[in-house]
Amino acid sequence: MSGRDKTGLVFFPAFDWAISPTHPEREERLLYTRDQIFEEGLMDLPQISEYKPRLASFKDIARTHFCVPRVKDQITEAHLVAAGAALVIADALMAGEIRNGFALVRPPGHHAMRVVHGNRGFCNINNEAIMVDYLRKKYGLKKIAIVDTDVHHGDGTQDIFYHDPDVLFVSFHQDGRTLYPGSGFTNETGGPTAFGRTLNVPLPPGTTDEGLHYVLDELILPVLEEFKPDIIVNSAGQDNHFTDPLANMKVTAQGYARLNEKLKPDIAVLEGGYALETALPYVNTGIILAMAGLDYSNVVEPEYRSDMFTLSRDKKDRIKVVVDELKTIWKNREAIDLTAMRAKNDFYQRQKTIYYDTDGINEYQTEKIRLCPDCSGYISINSQARHHNGIQHNILGLSIPFDGCHECREEAYAEYEAAAGKKVHNFVYFQDRVADVYRGYSRDKDREWEEE
Amino acid sequence: MFIGIDVGGTYTDAVLTDGSRIIAKKKAGTRHDDLLSSLLEALDEVIRGQDISKIKRVVLSTTLVTNIIAEKKHPPVALVLAPGPGLSHAGYSFDTFTGIVPGAVDYRGREIIPLDKKEVIRAGEEIRRRNFDRAAVVGKFSCRNSSHEILMKEILEKNCPGIRVELGHTVSGQLNFPRRIATTMLTAATRDIFADFVANVLQSLQERSITAPAFILKADGGTLPLAAALRMPVETIFSGPAASTLGAMSLSPRGQTSVVVDVGGTTTDLALILSGEPLLASKGAKVGRFFTQVKSFAVKSIPLGGDSAVVVREGRVQILPERRGPAYCQGGEGATPTDALRFLGKVDLGDRARAEEIIGRLAGEVQKNPVETAGEIVSAACKIIVEAIEQMFINWEQEPAYRVWEIVRQTAIRPNNLVGVGGAAGGIIPDAAKMMNCDAVIPEHAEVANALGAAAAQPTVTVNLRVDTEQGTYTVVEDGTTGTVPKGRTFREEDAIKLAKDHLFALADRLQVKEYVKKIEVVHSEVFNMVRGWSTTGRIYDICVQTPRDILFYMGQGGECR
Repeated sequence: MSGRDKTGLVFFPAFDWAISPTHPEREERLLYTRDQIFEEGLMDLPQISEYKPRLASFKDIARTHFCVPRVKDQITEAHLVAAGAALVIADALMAGEIRNGFALVRPPGHHAMRVVHGNRGFCNINNEAIMVDYLRKKYGLKKIAIVDTDVHHGDGTQDIFYHDPDVLFVSFHQDGRTLYPGSGFTNETGGPTAFGRTLNVPLPPGTTDEGLHYVLDELILPVLEEFKPDIIVNSAGQDNHFTDPLANMKVTAQGYARLNEKLKPDIAVLEGGYALETALPYVNTGIILAMAGLDYSNVVEPEYRSDMFTLSRDKKDRIKVVVDELKTIWKNREAIDLTAMRAKNDFYQRQKTIYYDTDGINEYQTEKIRLCPDCSGYISINSQARHHNGIQHNILGLSIPFDGCHECREEAYAEYEAAAGKKVHNFVYFQDRVADVYRGYSRDKDREWEEE
Repeated sequence: MFIGIDVGGTYTDAVLTDGSRIIAKKKAGTRHDDLLSSLLEALDEVIRGQDISKIKRVVLSTTLVTNIIAEKKHPPVALVLAPGPGLSHAGYSFDTFTGIVPGAVDYRGREIIPLDKKEVIRAGEEIRRRNFDRAAVVGKFSCRNSSHEILMKEILEKNCPGIRVELGHTVSGQLNFPRRIATTMLTAATRDIFADFVANVLQSLQERSITAPAFILKADGGTLPLAAALRMPVETIFSGPAASTLGAMSLSPRGQTSVVVDVGGTTTDLALILSGEPLLASKGAKVGRFFTQVKSFAVKSIPLGGDSAVVVREGRVQILPERRGPAYCQGGEGATPTDALRFLGKVDLGDRARAEEIIGRLAGEVQKNPVETAGEIVSAACKIIVEAIEQMFINWEQEPAYRVWEIVRQTAIRPNNLVGVGGAAGGIIPDAAKMMNCDAVIPEHAEVANALGAAAAQPTVTVNLRVDTEQGTYTVVEDGTTGTVPKGRTFREEDAIKLAKDHLFALADRLQVKEYVKKIEVVHSEVFNMVRGWSTTGRIYDICVQTPRDILFYMGQGGECR
C-alpha cells in the first residue's frame, strides 16, 4: 500500500504524566482508548502506519509562543513529546508517506495563547499552532484551515491566529455563556487584517449529531471550499460527546466519525475529552477508522440508545440563526477597506484580560498590530500577569509575521532594543519568523538569550 | 551433559556439550517428510559411545509446526467469534467457516451485551452440518472477562458431540482480537499433530534409556518441557532463528551488545543482542498470511549472500540482491563474493584457480588489478551489511513508545561485537566490524550454532498481571487466570507485585520449570488512579514480572577471534 492510502497515527498516552494525581489530565486518560485500539488491532491494519513521537525543540515552541520567562519554564517533557508528535505527523504528510494523520496525544493545547504565563484549560503550549507554524516555516505552506471540534472554545488557537489572514480558524463549541472559557461568540471574527478568518459557532447545550452536521454542511464545508486551504487541521476534542462529564452536548461516536469523513482533515490532533471510559475508546476508534476510509458503522457506545438524541425545534432554530449570521460575516470578509489606514501605517489595538484557571493567574494585555501596506504587519504585545502567589511579570513581545517586510522587522527590532534598554519590562521578546530566530531579554539578569 | 538438536528446514544439527566444550556434534540434511527420523539420526550420532546417565537435559528445536501451517497439513478449524461493537465484522476473514454471535464485554471486562445463546446454538448446528471436529472460540476483550468464551464452549460441546474447542483467553491474554483469533485457530489446528510428535519423541528417548527431561525451544528463545508445550504448539514456530541467535550468543562475550550476522548463500540474517539480551520483535510473528501473538526474535533478512551475483555496471563492481547459481569457484557461471574471498584467501572453499580466473576477468572489465577488484567486492558486501545493521538499530529506536521517559532517554546504542556465523562470515565480518568500529567474533563450531543454541536455552516464565481494584478483580495475561482482590485503597502496588510473583511461581510449577525460577525481575509496574466524580474510586495496576532471559552457559568468552 502506498503512502497515498495510509493514515499515520502517533499514539502517545503519556502513561507517566499528570497535572495532578486526580486531575482530569492524568495517566488514566487514554488507558481505555489504548485498550480499545490495541484490542481492535488497528495498528496491524494495512491502512494504518504507526509513528513514534519525537521531542519538539524549544525553537519550535518559541516560533509560536512568548513563554514567560522562557520556554523551559512552561513545559514538561510530556509537552515536548505531544507537540513533537504533531510535528512527526506533519513531516510524514509532507514526505508523502501518509494520506492523512492523527496525533492521538496528551497533554492538549488549544487553550494556550500566544503569550504563556502558565497553564490554562489544562494547556501550556498549543500543539496545533506550533505544528501550523512549523509547516509554514519548514515547508512554505501558506493557507491553513483549523477546525476546532472540541466542546470548549479554542480560544488559544484563535488568539494566536487572530490577525493572520492566511489561517482560517473555525470553532464550534457549547455556548460560552454556559461553559469554560466563556468566549467564542459570533462577534469574534478576527482582527481588521483577517476579518472573517475567525468564525465561532456557539451551540446550545444538548446539540446532537444532527445539529453539528447542520453546521458542518451549511457553514464549515462551504467556507472551506471557498477558502481553499493547503491543508485542513482538525483540533480534535471529543468532549461534545453525550457522556462527557465536563460539558452538556449530545454528540455520538458516529457523529464524530462522520464529521471526520466529511471534513477530510489532513491532520487531526487530539484535544480535550474526559469521558475516559464511555466516550474516548469509541470516539477515537471511530475517528481513526473514518480517517483511514474504513467502515466505522459498528463503532457504537454501550450507553447509546437511539431515542436519546432528538434536537428540539427551538435549538434547531437557534443554530440556524447563528449559521446564517456567520455566513453573512464570511461573505463580507473582504468588506473592510484598510487602504487608508495602511497608507498611514496605523496600528490596530485591542485590550484583553485573560484568566488562567489551572494556575490562578490574571493577565492584562494590550495587543497592537501594524496595518502595513507591504506585509501582514508586526504585532506588539504588552502583558502584565499577576500570579496567585504574588509574582508579577510585565513583558513586551514583538512578533514578525512569516511574510514580514523589511520595514516591519526594523521597526519591531528597534522597539525590542529600546524596551530592553528602558528596563520597564521584566522580559522582552523578539519573535523573528522571517529569520527563524527567537530572542528574549531578562531585565533582572541583564541577559539576552536565543531559544534553540 | 546437555544435548541440543535443531531440525531446520535444510539441515538438522545436534551437539553434546558439557557447557564448556563441544563433546560431539553432527550436521546432516533434513528429511522433509520425516522430521522424527532426521532428529533421531542426529541424536544417535552424538550419544554414540557416551554415558547416557550423565545427560542432564535434551532440548529440541523443530520446524514441525511451521511446516504443518505452511503446507496446510492440518485439519480445518471452525471459528465462533463474539466481536461486539468496533471494527466491521466483515473484516474478520480467516478462510474458514466463521460464526459471529452477538455478545460483548468491554476493556474492563464488564458485560455490555449479553451472549446470544441461540446464535451460538445456530453456529454449532452449522459446524456440525459442515463436519468440523474442532473449533476456536474467541471474544473481543475475552482476556479481561472469559465468561462468554466459557459459555460458548459449553453450548458447543453440548450441541456438537465430540467437538474440540480451543478458547482464546487461554491461548493469549494480550490485547489484539484479530491476532488472538489467528493464534487460537492455529493452536486448535496443530495441537494433535504436535502431540503425536511429542509422544514419539518421548518414546524414542525412552527406548534409548534417556531419562533426562526433554524440552522444546520456543520462538522467543525460552524452552518448555515437552509435556507442558502441548498446550501451546504454535509457540514453537520460528524457533530456528532463536536457536541460531542463542548459539552465537553462547559463543560470544557475555552481557555485551552484539549483532549476530548469519551469512548464508542467498541471504544474510541479522539478530540483535542488547546488553546480553536477544531483542524480541515488538509485535507477534506473522505466520502465513496471519498476524499472531507469538513472540519471536527480531530477525532481519537481507538479500546478500556468498552466492549473490557480482556484475560490472558503469565500470564498477556491484553486488546484486539475487543469487543466480553457485560461486564460480564452486562450479557456477558468474562471479560472487565467495570468489573474491577465495581469491584473497579469506575462505577455503572451491577451486582457487577458477576464483583467480573470474576475478581476473572482472579486473579486466574495470581496469584495475585483481587484488584491488576482489577487495572492492568484499568491501561492497561489508557496506551492505553495515547499512542493514544501522537500519536495524534505527528501526529499533523508532519503535512506538507510550511513556515520556522512553522518548526522553534516547541514547544511540551501537554494538560491541559482530558475531559472524555461516560459510562466508569469516571472510566478510572482520572488515565489516572494522567499518563499524567494533570487534569481530568468528566462533568455532558456528556450523552447529543452532543446536548449541537449543542446548543453552533455558525456560523463561513471564507474568503480566492486570488488577482493577474498583471492580476487585485481576487477570493474568499469560493463561487467562482470574481472581479477586480487596476493593478500594487497601490493595497497594507492592501487593500487586507480590501477587504477580506468586502467579509466576504457580505458572512455573504448572509448566514444571520451578527449579529454573531463581530470580524475578519487575519489567514494569504501572499504576493508574481511577477518578470518578472527583474522588479516587480505585486503581488499575499493570505489572509485568519475568525470570531473566539468559542462557545456561557461555563457551569460550569471545570465541576464536581471527
